Amino acid sequence: MLPSFDILGFLVSWGTFLGIYAILAISLNLEVGLTGMANFGKVAFYGIGAYLAASLSVYTVLAVYHVAAAPYTTEGIIALGKYGGASPALDLGIFAASLMLGFIIAGCVGYLLTYPTLRVGPAFLGITLLAFGELLRIFLLNYQPLGASKGLSGIPHPFLWIPDPVLRERLYVLVVLGFLAVTLWFAERITNSPFGRVLKAVRDDEVAALCMGKHVPRVKATVLFIGSGMAGVAGVLLAFYMSSVNPNMFVPAVTFNIWAMVILGGMGNNKGAVVGAAIITFVDRILTFITPNLGITIITPDYIRWMIVGILIVLVLMFMPGGLVPEKPIKTPAWEAVESLEKESKEGGSGGGEA
Amino acid sequence: MTKPILEVKDLAKYFGGVKALDGVTLEVPERGVIGLIGPNGSGKTTLFNVVTGFYVPTRGEVWYAGERIDGLNPNEVFLKGLVRTFQIPRLFPSLTVLENVLLTPPRQVGERVLTAPFRSKWEKQEKELARKAVALLRKFGLGEYVRARVSELSAAHMKMIETIRGLITDARVYLLDEPAAGVAYTTARELFTFIKRLRDEEGLTFFIIEHRLEVLMDFVDYVYVLHNGRLLSEGKPDEVMSDPKVIEAYIGR
Repeated sequence: MLPSFDILGFLVSWGTFLGIYAILAISLNLEVGLTGMANFGKVAFYGIGAYLAASLSVYTVLAVYHVAAAPYTTEGIIALGKYGGASPALDLGIFAASLMLGFIIAGCVGYLLTYPTLRVGPAFLGITLLAFGELLRIFLLNYQPLGASKGLSGIPHPFLWIPDPVLRERLYVLVVLGFLAVTLWFAERITNSPFGRVLKAVRDDEVAALCMGKHVPRVKATVLFIGSGMAGVAGVLLAFYMSSVNPNMFVPAVTFNIWAMVILGGMGNNKGAVVGAAIITFVDRILTFITPNLGITIITPDYIRWMIVGILIVLVLMFMPGGLVPEKPIKTPAWEAVESLEKESKEGGSGGGEA
Repeated sequence: MTKPILEVKDLAKYFGGVKALDGVTLEVPERGVIGLIGPNGSGKTTLFNVVTGFYVPTRGEVWYAGERIDGLNPNEVFLKGLVRTFQIPRLFPSLTVLENVLLTPPRQVGERVLTAPFRSKWEKQEKELARKAVALLRKFGLGEYVRARVSELSAAHMKMIETIRGLITDARVYLLDEPAAGVAYTTARELFTFIKRLRDEEGLTFFIIEHRLEVLMDFVDYVYVLHNGRLLSEGKPDEVMSDPKVIEAYIGR
């Protein structure tokens, strides 16, 4: 007999992770799938968002309630637990401010990092960003005001003032999925626009795009600003969900997990990125939910997860090289104009033929 | 000849000790079809690269329509009205023929990231450009390829589209790098006929690097010959072809 399984609880937990990772996957797809910039440092911008939300919220709460203790000390954590849910306005205000600042600061860091890297060639961008992510993690590991290796905890959940934790989580998943919807809408709109056409042109042939008058470095910097900003927002959402952050949450494996989602779902397709994120987070969540009940002790869910992801990627790439949802042509109103022209000339043509 | 639209004055480009260009002065008149020939390594493509902003010259000046353009970036040179093509056509393979043409017009409203999500702001411009692009493709007999992927086209068609996509802008001068390379003799002649047609009908100016002299010489008004980074000879096609210095550079040691 199967042990009891909380289906709604599972869906809420999966939905939250799906939302956060799908935002990351869409942002990576904009960079890699559409513009051809291999970003191996995605986790850095995710981490910036998460740490921004964590530090902003804990320091603000302690300052508002005049607690002298630092947030990483025992007194600090106790004070955060005591005052965290005291004021709905403060909790929601911190949440909103974190989201905005998370987007802007992560975006600006991404934008600034393009400055030294775009001029040296595509491979350097990926490696520089990878190195940047590791540098950031090692910095966080040693920087005491941000909790060093223990990280920061007691981040006040935006709905902490609601007494029922189950309701709190259900409200939060709706917020996360709302952000995913906005991100997907925005990504789809810019993909199917003249801007999206420029992105694909830059991906196909940078030099030719330059010769067609496109300011390639500016285009890439813009995309990295948007992509990093989105990752920052995902980081903020993660920090408030987990209520704590530490440097080990932001290892390079996270970046490769997001790459796996984009490859699985289909490079160059935003909806594919969401599908990829849904599959991989589903595997992750179901293993986390099931394994304790199965009593498997020889192998941890982490290993099984990586094996499943690896097998999935190999199978999908063997049978569907474009991913589960392959790239689609750009849809702009230009094609409507072409269709009406073709209709006209067909009518005109047949008329002329008879005459 | 009419007044020059493109002028190169004492242009030099050194790569370390290699003098790829060493003081070249030449001019391209408006509505001209001008050839640029020379043995391999004589500096023809380097000249194009300097003129179109890929290299900053070591010395000298480039003037286009009364404006100095050396030192500008390639995208800025394009925006001034100079289009450059490559020896191997560089179209965008994941875009259709129509989209390759639509990409070209500069400063489109929908190309800005903040207006791109809002279709109503750029829909009218996009449709106008699409009608213009289809009309252009039809005019040159490529109407049936509007929806085709670039990979489905023949080499000659790719080369034609590379040139046609400049026509949707106000570009006046076209720098073509070996347009006849890699196509059959008759196709090469067709391409040059097409170039002449563009000059006559659209009033465009062409500056052409070409190795296939048997094709080039029948179509150009004037030829410059480069050798070791310097101008070896210039003149009308028959004058150049009978110049002993040119014959020696091409055949002799």
